[in-house]
Amino acid sequence: MGEGAWKLAVPLGLAQFSFFLAPLLLLAATSFATDENFSQFSVQAWLDVLGDSFHLGAVLNTLRLGALAVLATMLLAVPLALLHMVAGPGLKKIILLAAVLPLLTSVVVRTFAWIVILGREGVINTALLSTGIVSSPVALLQTEPGLILALTQIEMPLMLLPLIAALARIDPSLLDASSALGASLFRTLRKVVLPLALPGLLAGATLVFASAATAFISQSVIGGGRLAYLPALVWQQAMVVFNWPLAAAMALTLMGSVLAVAAALSALARGAQA
Amino acid sequence: MTDLSRRTVLGATLGLAGAALLPGRPARAAGSMTAAVYPGGWDEALRAVLSPALKQAHGVDVAYEPLFAVDQIAKARAARGTAPFDVFVLDPGPRVSGIDLGLFEPFDPARLPNRDKLPAGYADTVGAGVAAQVVGIAYNPKKLAKPAGWRDLFKPEYASRLGLTGFGTTFGTISLIEMAKVFGGSESDVEPLFVELRKILPQVAAVAQPAAMAGLFQQGQIDVMYTNTYTVTLLKSRGVDIDFAVPETGAAAFGTTMHIAKGSKNIDAAYQYIDTMISTPVQAALSQAPYFFVPVNTGVTPGADVPVKSLDELKNFVSHDWSKINPLRARWIDRFNREMAK
Amino acid sequence: MLEQMPPADAALVTGTPAGHRLDMDGIRVRYGQATAVDDVTLTVPPGEILALLGPSGCGKTTLLRSVAGFIRPEAGRVLVDGRPIDHLPPGGRGVGIVFQSYALFPHMTAAQNVAYGLEARGRPQKEIRQKVEAALAAVRMEAFAERRPRALSGGQQQRVALARALAIEPAILLLDEPFAALDRALRLDLQLEIKRIQRRFGVTAVLVTHDQDEAMSMADRMAVMRGGRVEQVGAPAEVYDNPATPFVAGFVGTSNRLHGRIEAREGAAYRIRLDVGASLVADSPRGFAVGERVLLTARPEQLALRDASDPDPAAFPARLRQSLPLGPALMHDVEAGSTELKLHQPRHGAPPVPGPVRVALLPEARPALFAAGDAA
Repeated sequence: MGEGAWKLAVPLGLAQFSFFLAPLLLLAATSFATDENFSQFSVQAWLDVLGDSFHLGAVLNTLRLGALAVLATMLLAVPLALLHMVAGPGLKKIILLAAVLPLLTSVVVRTFAWIVILGREGVINTALLSTGIVSSPVALLQTEPGLILALTQIEMPLMLLPLIAALARIDPSLLDASSALGASLFRTLRKVVLPLALPGLLAGATLVFASAATAFISQSVIGGGRLAYLPALVWQQAMVVFNWPLAAAMALTLMGSVLAVAAALSALARGAQA
Repeated sequence: MTDLSRRTVLGATLGLAGAALLPGRPARAAGSMTAAVYPGGWDEALRAVLSPALKQAHGVDVAYEPLFAVDQIAKARAARGTAPFDVFVLDPGPRVSGIDLGLFEPFDPARLPNRDKLPAGYADTVGAGVAAQVVGIAYNPKKLAKPAGWRDLFKPEYASRLGLTGFGTTFGTISLIEMAKVFGGSESDVEPLFVELRKILPQVAAVAQPAAMAGLFQQGQIDVMYTNTYTVTLLKSRGVDIDFAVPETGAAAFGTTMHIAKGSKNIDAAYQYIDTMISTPVQAALSQAPYFFVPVNTGVTPGADVPVKSLDELKNFVSHDWSKINPLRARWIDRFNREMAK
Repeated sequence: MLEQMPPADAALVTGTPAGHRLDMDGIRVRYGQATAVDDVTLTVPPGEILALLGPSGCGKTTLLRSVAGFIRPEAGRVLVDGRPIDHLPPGGRGVGIVFQSYALFPHMTAAQNVAYGLEARGRPQKEIRQKVEAALAAVRMEAFAERRPRALSGGQQQRVALARALAIEPAILLLDEPFAALDRALRLDLQLEIKRIQRRFGVTAVLVTHDQDEAMSMADRMAVMRGGRVEQVGAPAEVYDNPATPFVAGFVGTSNRLHGRIEAREGAAYRIRLDVGASLVADSPRGFAVGERVLLTARPEQLALRDASDPDPAAFPARLRQSLPLGPALMHDVEAGSTELKLHQPRHGAPPVPGPVRVALLPEARPALFAAGDAA
């Protein structure tokens, strides 16, 4: 590499700094400021977030929501991706289309569609009531299970696509080899397919986790006011209450915890690859 | 309820939520100005009625920036006091915040040729009232008997169908204060409300963001909520089973005001915009279907579906002192979050 | 890589098990309209290697996959020691397979790969450990037991694949183009070694290949396939010397093709007038009528260059275009009219000068004779 080649990286570096790092630093500074001119600083906002059981509970709720969304999408995406792997070209296309379709609709539309499905007079309850399985409507909207159900559909592509890609990379003769060596289908899945699909699974988990934990619209609209998650609290503190330091501290807490989980998952993925 | 009306209402709700997320602001052209507007119905109404009237009367083009009142204040604050638009449209709470933060140009009512049409006190040194809002109880007449007042909402048959929303909006704050008063509280003391809320909380049908309330009502998730007459008439016109009930303690009313943003480069156009807004033809058109605004122009008779028959009637409605409420609101919002959390 | 012969008595150490007989009986496989394997019947005696040789698309891999159990044939049976195994899944057939891509599990070490089949069969840990060690030792990979496939060379991967296939002590070993991914220099060494290991284990084997040299060097017998059918089965030398069809003559080894007409019968042989202008005698197991058009195929080493002035009527005029040294031999590139010929001769002295020559069949040569209708 020639001398001064680093100069080529300067524009990108500057752009990174001014559009990504600088706002982040500003956010960090805001979390410590006590006034808009940054003349005085305090750690009060951080104490309010990390030393308060309600806010701490919201942090844990948010992480829990992300984790449950990951589990739920995985439960559905793994069989679907396996079906895609063994399917003929026609069915493959249908599965792929179904996987990508949600990405083509706005998350707002998808979220509101779930109100229609999960509501007291929604599709699910109407079906349950008319078949006599339940005698009064089941609470789905504004419950954590309902929110996870909706997030499962909303975030599914993020899990399914990396998984399908990972499975497609598996040499089909590995499956033949496993079966010829006497392994059952289940053993082949457990010992060969899933370990080899692990990088895709972890990539999907990272994406779903980050996306579900920060799904502001779905959390507020489907989850409702009784489930406290960080994104809505950040919005409320910033836009309604104007407590910017608290909003900044919560935003950074959210970012930090999501990044930590993502980093842990990608470390796992590297371990699985080695 | 027809599918069409379902979709229409869903669409309107989507508009509200979607627009709230839209960033950026339109560029200003010469002979033009930018005005903030509430997303959804207000946005539709002003584009359809006010824009052509303004263009015709003064040759001014207006670009709208759809923002809720609190978002307008937040944006102006974030821009260090210089709003990215020329005119605010605000509820009383954010209006007081705006005054406290010095976000408005001094306002001279004399520059509004139509000021004579406004009742006394509707134009002052910070801005002018352009519409009124009446807040009370909305319920589904097919599912529930008409509630007599706020106290009824805490009875099991209503509580189990009730949608709650917090102190984040003006109508929410006013309604919750009115409930507090019924149980012995006041404008500055909502503690009795929380005591009662705690009792019914396990039954309530939903606790939601204000923007989600209309959608939840339309989908039958909730059958009673507190809101303004404007929302009720709008939903009703779209086929939703909804009626407005004036509580026995009286409906609460508040004015919606417009203000010129500090540092605006289009002050003349801004005055023309506000003046056209209060003009008789515009107020008359806005008070009719499908907009149902409560007019402030004394020369306009409210539309048949607007639950206020004359401006004089408004004087009898309950009003609130936002300079007392505002300092307490942040604490109430936080308190509401914690009380509601499972 | 250093590939050395193990001690000659290595075979005795393992206690060679008795081999098993494999029968493919009337196997037919169809993909939609296309018949991939058309009524193939083959027998592999215990302990032998049968090579399925043919160009791509001839059905050899489909046949192998039918034996392995990956494909259910439309008709026919597969039998081991006379017992049908068609109803059994691949894992239950006692068949070990070495795949073209080796198909080693990339996330497992060599030892884990070899242990896989034994674990799937639920063998006790102690036995697994011993057998894995023995199998890796047999392919001389014991030093690489803890390596992942990615850290092994192509040849090493192939031996691990072989060890994995043999560890389950299969009755039949199937080798699907096992050398295709290896460079040429390595191939012969590994071919010899695999054949040696196969002998030592006494395992009956089927080798699929499109490489005639590979088939010749490894197989006890070869089945040449074309269009889903077996054209000829026999020992490699027999197939080479007496090709049953012009296709076999062309596919196994190099053949020069000369057209002509039967002039007369001479005892058990025929006198043939070649179109290139020579009259010669050749015998054939097939019967021909006088005047019938025939195709004569001769190996490069069955033809010889003569001086342009040679008066022998069995020689025909041609032109030498060039001579290329090919190891110990010389390859002559010759044209006779529009017919191109290749001739091999031992290299001695200076190469002949390009120009007019005559070409004759060597006296001891036995060219193959086909009716001209047998195209290809």
